[in-house]
Amino acid sequence: MKEQTVRFKVNGNKIALEVEANELLVDVLRERLGLTGTKVGCREGECGTCSIIMNGRLVAACLIPIMKAEGADIVTIEGLEKNGDLHVVQQMFIEHGAIQCGFCTPAMVLAGKALLDRTPNPTHAEIREAISGILCRCTGYQKIIEAIDSAAKAQGRR
Amino acid sequence: MKSNEEFAVVGKSKPRIDAREKVTGKLKYIADMDYGDTLHAKVLRSPYPHARIKRIDTSKAAALPGVVAVLTAKDVPGRNGFGAIVPDQPVLCGDKVRFVGDGVALVAAVDEKTAIRALDLIKVDYEVLPAVFSPVEALSGNAPKVHDSGNLITTSRVEKGDIESGFREADVILERTYELPFLEHAYLEPDVAVAYRGDDGTVTVEAPMQAPFTTRRNVAPVLGLPINKVRCIVTPLGGGFGGKEDSPVDTAVRVALLAWHTGKRVRLEYSREEIMLSTCKRHPMIIRAKIGAKKDGTFVAFEGTIYNEQGAYASLGPVLPPAGGVHAHAVVMLPGPYQIPNIKVEGYLVYTNHPYGGAMRGFGAPQSNFAHESLVDELADLLNMDPFELRRKNCFELGSKTATGQVIDQSIGLKETLDESRKLFQWERRKPTADPAKTGLQNKATGLGMAIGWYRTSIGTTFDGTGVNLHLLEDGSVIIYQGLVEMGQGMHTGISQIAAEALGVNLENVRVVAPDTDSAPESGPTVGSRCTTLMGNAILLAAQQIKEPLMQSASELLETPVERLVAREGFIFDKEKPEIKMELKEAARRSMGMGRRLMGQGWYTPPKPTLDPRTGQGNPYFVYTYATQMVEVEVDTKTGEVELKKIVGSFDIGKAINPQLLEGQIEGGIAMGVGYALMEKVILEEGIIKNLGLKDYLIPTAKDMPEIVSSIVEEPNVHGPFGAKGIGEMPNIPTPAAINNAIVNAIGSRIYKVPIDSESVWNAMHSPKPKGR
Repeated sequence: MKEQTVRFKVNGNKIALEVEANELLVDVLRERLGLTGTKVGCREGECGTCSIIMNGRLVAACLIPIMKAEGADIVTIEGLEKNGDLHVVQQMFIEHGAIQCGFCTPAMVLAGKALLDRTPNPTHAEIREAISGILCRCTGYQKIIEAIDSAAKAQGRR
Repeated sequence: MKSNEEFAVVGKSKPRIDAREKVTGKLKYIADMDYGDTLHAKVLRSPYPHARIKRIDTSKAAALPGVVAVLTAKDVPGRNGFGAIVPDQPVLCGDKVRFVGDGVALVAAVDEKTAIRALDLIKVDYEVLPAVFSPVEALSGNAPKVHDSGNLITTSRVEKGDIESGFREADVILERTYELPFLEHAYLEPDVAVAYRGDDGTVTVEAPMQAPFTTRRNVAPVLGLPINKVRCIVTPLGGGFGGKEDSPVDTAVRVALLAWHTGKRVRLEYSREEIMLSTCKRHPMIIRAKIGAKKDGTFVAFEGTIYNEQGAYASLGPVLPPAGGVHAHAVVMLPGPYQIPNIKVEGYLVYTNHPYGGAMRGFGAPQSNFAHESLVDELADLLNMDPFELRRKNCFELGSKTATGQVIDQSIGLKETLDESRKLFQWERRKPTADPAKTGLQNKATGLGMAIGWYRTSIGTTFDGTGVNLHLLEDGSVIIYQGLVEMGQGMHTGISQIAAEALGVNLENVRVVAPDTDSAPESGPTVGSRCTTLMGNAILLAAQQIKEPLMQSASELLETPVERLVAREGFIFDKEKPEIKMELKEAARRSMGMGRRLMGQGWYTPPKPTLDPRTGQGNPYFVYTYATQMVEVEVDTKTGEVELKKIVGSFDIGKAINPQLLEGQIEGGIAMGVGYALMEKVILEEGIIKNLGLKDYLIPTAKDMPEIVSSIVEEPNVHGPFGAKGIGEMPNIPTPAAINNAIVNAIGSRIYKVPIDSESVWNAMHSPKPKGR
């Protein structure tokens, strides 16, 4: 297949890559850019563990052909920690014990961040909706919901 | 028992030790690791549920450029079989295949695409054989034989008192049949294994495995190697739930075989569909249960029969003496945590040509629980009694005798969990079960239901040892070498807390080395809710060996008698004059300088199980965890749709080593029970799975889960570290029956099968009620 150039931003860094048009964003992130915090659990957009933030929206990176990322602004889990400080959603995941096996955690954290970026004071129903595209087999979701709720409240206090 | 104030580390909700790595995405699961130059492997699988292999032609596949090896049964140098209990599953099938997905050939190629193309070029001539898909049919004399040994793997029984006279005494007798399907674990991290040969004749396998010693015990004979030439390294687990006790044995023996033949590093990954097609599942069961009671609700007799479908291979189904394996556990648990003088349970474990059952959270107990808790609830209706009172009247208390004649002589907080749940849930809100003629008039019907349950700690086998090597280093830091696995449950945090408490150091000074059979002593498998309890005890034994010389040094340095010294939070001090103190790390450094030993080896085995398999009498397990759950549902009576409104659970776990991690186990377990109750089922037609993949096999999302309120009861276990006992599996056990009973309370009709989807609710509302007698 013919190589094309794709340009996009990941975690604030400008990227230009020669790619084949049938490559998927998830594989480019993981294999070409080494951003393995984005997971692969099913490759059919069902488990949501490959979720990333693209242009402010949470998307499943396993469903995105790489050329759809042209010009996009992408945030992966690796982009949340700033100078050694965790994002408030990450802090609250730790504080509330919202982590078990950790496989869905990067996606869940990004879902929380994407939600709070546009809805600073979400209801529990809005939090459930925001994370409903990501499966977690370990936690029963309760502590994840509490963590995102607490992150919203902590942000509000700043 | 000591109160939490007396502990520095234990009993506290410390953040899990791997939290930061996980929340930043830095933790590398096996799929995230770069192994460099690696061959890619694929398995050719049987398309038939039962067929004889007449001929396999691999020549075209082997000739494909990029293919490095194509292997069949004849290429297995040692034992062509693996399995957690009995090695009855071929690494590669030689004579016949027994389920759709059975492995027939292996390919290793330079990339995955080439490996997949090579699979298409392997030609297998099959002679299709008649197949059997039901355990009941498989027991009939003319059923096709799945294995030459016959379809009945084992019959387990428990018998107490005289069942016939028991039922004669009963005023009310109720008999029902319950059916439960195959379930998929649906751990989110797919199975991957990587293997390579060392120049020293060793073979190493890396994989996310719950049971590295079981894997090692299987890889060695398959390759014809002594066990000490096989090394199993556990990579971080993205969930296991029992499934990764078994699946990494499957991937490991195959990828190790390819590494052995090619001399190269080989990687084998199963896609989500392949995992669902070929790895173990929760056992389906058909359970007939009959209970007899006096008018006042006193239980007098219980009889049960379990048809337990093993599928094509034995996995963790068979009895590992005396009470290990899924089957024995299901049989022992079937009468529930109730005092009943006359009991008879018989269980048949049967091969079929379906995928196979293995370990899955609860290990046979959820199936048995659904039967006894649905039955007892229906009995309450027949007796016109509150199901809470009926359960409370008959359930275990101190001194009760179980079905196997075991005296519950300690750590029994079941009634406390009942009373706690009642309070938290406000059970008194519940109205008697609705009249079905009336529920049809309302659009929404509310129902409240409950269930209780019990679960053993550890596995009920004569071999149940757990080893640890514990080292205090000269700077006061601690390192733990052991082989039990962190799979999300928080076990490495829990044992670190126990080590920190026992040695008197701070939690952040403790590190658990990732399990590796080359450095860890045999610890047994990470199963059976055994880890915190057994490993905790092993650590306490090891810590004692370190504490003696350490405190001797401190005593000499502080010129204080050793019996007055206490180690806590990094300091050693005189408990009567706390100002006389020194840093623990200083005592460690000085001890080492004096040549004192600061390493301990702990080896703990729990009290031996004494169950006699012929009579079903004796102690199968040494301690039990107990639980009560209560559920509120709202049923849309027009569509049968069920909405969960609230779940309350109370658990007697002996001692919460880390309450927050414990709550995580409770909430996650309940979610798994919700899936079992309402949505999950592996759909099979003529041996073929119809819902491969997470698009068609649905598990609960955040929108399916209600609010969960949990409470912890601590009735200390004398055999547990700080009084602890197991929790991992208990939470999902009573959930399906509690949900079922809540639905019944809403609609007035009984349901006897899971999953309870809206169609089955609607059907129950519109079909005649079965009669009790």
